[in-house]
Amino acid sequence: MNGNHHSNDRPAWINRSTQLLDDSVRDLDAVTLSRLNRARQAALTQQRPHAPRVWLLPAGLASACAMLLAVVVWQPHHRSETQPSAAPVAVDDGDSEETSTEFYQNLEFYAWLDAQNKGGDG
Amino acid sequence: MAEIAGTMTGSQLEFARRVDATSTNQRALDQFLRGVERRALRMAELACGSRDDALDVVQDAMCAFVKNYAAKPEPDWAPLFHRVLDSRLNDFHRRRTVRKRWLAVFERKEDDDTLDPIEQAQDLQDPGPLLRLAGSEAGKALDAALKALPLRQRQAFLLRMWEGFDVATTARVMQCSEGSVKTHLSRALAALRRALEDHQ
Repeated sequence: MNGNHHSNDRPAWINRSTQLLDDSVRDLDAVTLSRLNRARQAALTQQRPHAPRVWLLPAGLASACAMLLAVVVWQPHHRSETQPSAAPVAVDDGDSEETSTEFYQNLEFYAWLDAQNKGGDG
Repeated sequence: MAEIAGTMTGSQLEFARRVDATSTNQRALDQFLRGVERRALRMAELACGSRDDALDVVQDAMCAFVKNYAAKPEPDWAPLFHRVLDSRLNDFHRRRTVRKRWLAVFERKEDDDTLDPIEQAQDLQDPGPLLRLAGSEAGKALDAALKALPLRQRQAFLLRMWEGFDVATTARVMQCSEGSVKTHLSRALAALRRALEDHQ
């Protein structure tokens, strides 16, 4: 392809022209050669294959686990902080506890009352 | 080695095979690009008129060639590379034509007195790449004659006479008919002969 451009069946001035063109590219300066080299490397770099992303699966699983753990740990905290309706229930519990204490304190009275009622019925 | 291969997963083996094939292909590509880059730079320089622009065009052509045609058979690489380069040179020429049209509008408004003739003059210390390298009157004349040719005629001359492509391949590279290549080449040869006849 490139080697056959100085042929005898062409006019001499064409052979002379191609010879001059050959001469012009033979001794390029170092800066130009360096830039050509960089251009070539840049072109070749884009062809190199990228490693398959095998780390993506474990990384994804780890992230999912971490998120799940965060949700589990954070959720009860969040619930206790955001449920003020628990307070009235606690008040109710206090009332019933007081009532039951009173009941046990008067247990003998209730037993006597029950015996009186049974006696009255009999 | 077999043990190592046994411990590799399917995707890793596939990747190793691809790396091996790619490195072989890259060596061939590197050799090919080394072989064509200087001539490509000269062609681009004749078309662009500046080495910096020519280097940008060549790099662009190399990247596009590797990206799109690296997997093609090696015998097809030269015509394909020159096709990409020719396409990039056409784009550059088109952009420059549009830019010149716009600049012409503003340049008309400028006063001639504002132009410094010393700044406008060519740098006498830099005789130009072809002239510097050839260092002869014939080289200067050839450089001037080639730059004066229209883009398509110059490409037809360089591809046919310098690169040595046949008419059909040149037509494929220039994306035109074989008849157009012959016409462009005929006109280019006539223009060059007129310009260079004093230096034969």
